[in-house]
Amino acid sequence: MPDLRVLLLDSAKKRVLLLGNEAIARGILEAGISVVTTYPGTPASEIGDSISAVASEAGLYMEYSTNEMVAVEVAAGAANCGVRCLTAMKHVGLNVAADAVMTLAYVGVRGGYVIVTADDPECYSSQNEQDSRFYALFSNLPCLEPSDPQEAKDMTLAAVEISEELGLPVLLRTTTRVSHTRGPVVLGELAEPNLKGDLIRDVKRMVMVPAHARLMHERLLEKVEKAKELSEASSFNMVTREGKSGVGIISSSGAYNYAVEAVELLGLDAGILKLGMTHPLPEKMITEFLGRHKKVIVVEELEPYLELQVKAVAKDYAPNVEVYGKMARPYFPRKGELSTRSVAQGLAEIIGKKLPLDFAGLDSAFADIMKDLPARPPILCAGCPHRASFFVMKKVGGEAAAYPTDIGCYALGTAPPLCVGDLLICMGSSIGTAQGISRVTGRNTIATLGDSTFFHAAIPGLVNAVYNNAKVTLVVLDNTTTAMTGHQPHPGTGMTGMGTRSEKVSIERVAEGCGVKYVRTADPFKVKEASAVLKKALQQPGPSVVVFRAPCVLLSVRERRRQGIKVMPFKVTDKCTDCMTCIRLLGCPALVVVDGKVRVDEALCTACGLCASVCPYGAIEGRRLE
Amino acid sequence: MKEFNIVLAGVGGQGVLLAAEILGTAAVKDELNVRVSEIHGMAQRGGAVVSTVRIGDAVRAPTVLDGHADVLLGFEPLETLRNLKYASRKTHVIMNPEKIPPTELAAKNLKYPSLEEVRQKISRFTGKIIVVHAVQLAKEAGSSLAQNSVLVGAVAVVASFPVKVESVLEALKELVPARHVEENVRAFQLGYGAVKKERVG
Repeated sequence: MPDLRVLLLDSAKKRVLLLGNEAIARGILEAGISVVTTYPGTPASEIGDSISAVASEAGLYMEYSTNEMVAVEVAAGAANCGVRCLTAMKHVGLNVAADAVMTLAYVGVRGGYVIVTADDPECYSSQNEQDSRFYALFSNLPCLEPSDPQEAKDMTLAAVEISEELGLPVLLRTTTRVSHTRGPVVLGELAEPNLKGDLIRDVKRMVMVPAHARLMHERLLEKVEKAKELSEASSFNMVTREGKSGVGIISSSGAYNYAVEAVELLGLDAGILKLGMTHPLPEKMITEFLGRHKKVIVVEELEPYLELQVKAVAKDYAPNVEVYGKMARPYFPRKGELSTRSVAQGLAEIIGKKLPLDFAGLDSAFADIMKDLPARPPILCAGCPHRASFFVMKKVGGEAAAYPTDIGCYALGTAPPLCVGDLLICMGSSIGTAQGISRVTGRNTIATLGDSTFFHAAIPGLVNAVYNNAKVTLVVLDNTTTAMTGHQPHPGTGMTGMGTRSEKVSIERVAEGCGVKYVRTADPFKVKEASAVLKKALQQPGPSVVVFRAPCVLLSVRERRRQGIKVMPFKVTDKCTDCMTCIRLLGCPALVVVDGKVRVDEALCTACGLCASVCPYGAIEGRRLE
Repeated sequence: MKEFNIVLAGVGGQGVLLAAEILGTAAVKDELNVRVSEIHGMAQRGGAVVSTVRIGDAVRAPTVLDGHADVLLGFEPLETLRNLKYASRKTHVIMNPEKIPPTELAAKNLKYPSLEEVRQKISRFTGKIIVVHAVQLAKEAGSSLAQNSVLVGAVAVVASFPVKVESVLEALKELVPARHVEENVRAFQLGYGAVKKERVG
C-alpha cells in the first residue's frame, strides 16, 4: 500500500507522483472541503479511500454512504448549511444519484459542492460505458474535465470556487485514464476544514414544491448564463497550440493527450483548442476558433458530446467550416477508449495523409501471436467463498433454475465452469429481475447479490417481493466487505469511513423486517449444510433469503499473515483417478494439471477445502482453515 | 529528452502495479515528466495486468503507442507474448520465465508453450531478449514476493533508461512495505547484477 500520508504533506510547491484520484483527494484537502461522501466504485474508489485514510487527522468528515443517492443527499444537506462538500462515485453511480442531482440543481448550494463522476471507457470494470457529460447538459450543472492528475487537483479547487460563485453543484468528470493515471503533481497549501454549518431558512429556494420549482428553474437558467461567462474566461479553456494549415482540433479530457501526441506523430501544423470546462461551453471562444480554421476536428472519447454542440455553434456562427468527428462519418470510434493510434488514424484519414508507421505489419505479426494464446480473464480467487456458494447453488438449483446476478466480484461466477449468472444489469437488479423471471417462467429463481450491494439497492426490491408475493430466493453472498472495489466497509461491517466502530446492520434482521418469512444463514464451505438450507428455501411458497456468509479470502489471508498462522495446503493423494471432477466443477486457480495429473499449487492454496468436498474419491486431503 | 516507454505485464498478485509506481516515483525524484497507467478493480482479479510507465518532456498520454516500448518487462511468459504489440526492433524484452498457467489450460487440456517457443515468438519482434529468473533471485533475496523488485533492478540496467539507479532504489525503499525493505533491496541488486553481466546496450 502506498503511503497516503503524502496527502497531508505540508510543503507547498513540492512535486510528487500522485494517482489522478489521489490528486483529487489532495485537492479536497487544499480546498478546505469538509464533508466527503462516497459509495465505492472503480474507477472512482481511491478518492474516498484516500480521504478515509486521512480524514480524522485532517479534521474533516467522510463517510461511505449506503449508495450514491444517499451520498449526494447527505452532502446536499451539509452544503446547504454552507459547508464545502464533495461526493465521489463511478459513472453509473450518477444514475442512482440522478433523482437527487436533477432537483438539487434547482435548489443549489451555499457551500461549494463538487460531484465527481468517473467514467469507464472500454468497460474495464463496469457494466456500461455511458458518457456522463450528458448529465451536465441534462441537469444544467457546470462540468469540468481534467486530462491528467495535476489538472484533477487544480480543477477540484476551481470547481469549489465556481460552485460558490454560482450557488450550484459542479460536476468533475474523469475517466479511467485520468483517475488511474499517475503523474507529477505540484502541491499547494493545505486549507483548514470548516465543519460548522448553519441552516438558514429559505423556503422558496430550498423546498421544491411546484410553485417554488417553477421559480427556481428560471433561476437555474439564469445561473447557466452566468456560467457561460465563467466558461469563456476560464483558464481551463484555451488554445494550446497554433497551426498554419487551416486544420484545428477541439478536444477535452484524456482524449486531448492522444490528440496532442497524434498531431506530433503525424507532423501536423494544426491548432488545438483544449476544453477543460465542458459545460456550459465557451461558445464565443469556439466561434472564434472555428473562424480561424477551414477544417475543425473534434477528438473526444465515447459520445459526440462536444461535436453536437460545436456543430450547433458552427451552424449559427461559422457555417463554412467543415466539422469532423464521429457523427456524419465516423472517423473515431464511438465505443471503447481512444489511443494515440486510433486518433492518429482518424486524423490521417480526414486530412488525407499517410501514417508514418506500418501498423498493418505489426498487426498481422501480433495476430499470429494471439491466435493460439490462452486467455487469462479475471477469475474468482483461490479460496473465494463465492466459488463455494455457486457450487452449492448449481448443485441444488441445477440447470433448471434461473440465476439473475448482480454487480460485484460474483459476476465472475458467470464464466465457466461455474456458469451461474443469467441476467445482470445494475446494482440491486438481481432481486427485481428475479421476480419478473419467476413470474413468467415458473422456474426456480435464485437471485444473488453481495452484502454491500444488499444495503445499496436490494431492499426496495425485497419489499416488493414480499408485497407482491413473488416466489424467489435471494442468496446474499456475504463476504463481510466491499471486495471488488478494494475492501471498503459497509453498514454490515460495523466500521465507518472515519475508522470508528458503529452498530452492525444485520442483513437477516433487515430481511425479516421486510417481511420475509424464511431467512437462514449458512457457511457455503459446509456444502451439505448450505445445500440443505438452500433446498428448503426453494420450497417456500413466497420469497426467501439465504445468507451465505464467509469472509473474502483476501481478508482472511491478510489476517492469517498478520497473526503468523501458517497455511497448510491441501494435497492430492494416490487415490486420485484423474477423473478431473474438481477441475470441471470448480475452476479454482490453485488446482493445476501437470502431465495429466491434478496437483494443488501450494503457493495459491488457501486451505478452504472445497476441492476435498467435491472429490468423489476422497483423494484430496487436508485440514480446512476457518 | 526523447521519451522512454516501459510496458509491465503480468498476472494479478505479482506486484506489477507497485513496480510501475516505483519507476514513476523515481522519475519524479529526478525531476522528469512521467505518466503511469494502471488498471484496478475487476480487471485485476487473477487476470492479466498491464501497466505502463512513460518518461519524457513531451509525454502526455499514459498508454504506449503500439511498437513503441523501449522495455517490455514481462513478469510471466504468456503475458509477455500478450503484449508484444508494443514491441519492435528497438525493444528490450526482459522476462521472468516462471510460468503461471491460466485456468483455461487445465479446463481445456491445453499445454503451456515451452520457453523455447516463447523465445521464438518474441524474436519475431525483437532480438533483444533477456531472461531474468526473478522468482529464483527473489527467493535468494529472502522472499519470492520480491520478484517485482528483481525486475525493477533489471530495468535500471538498460543504458537508455533515463532515471538514476540511486533514485530507483530510493523510491523502492519508500514504497515497499517497511518490514520487507531489506529483502526487496537485495532482490533489486540481484536483478540489477544479473542483467549487468549481460551488458545491455
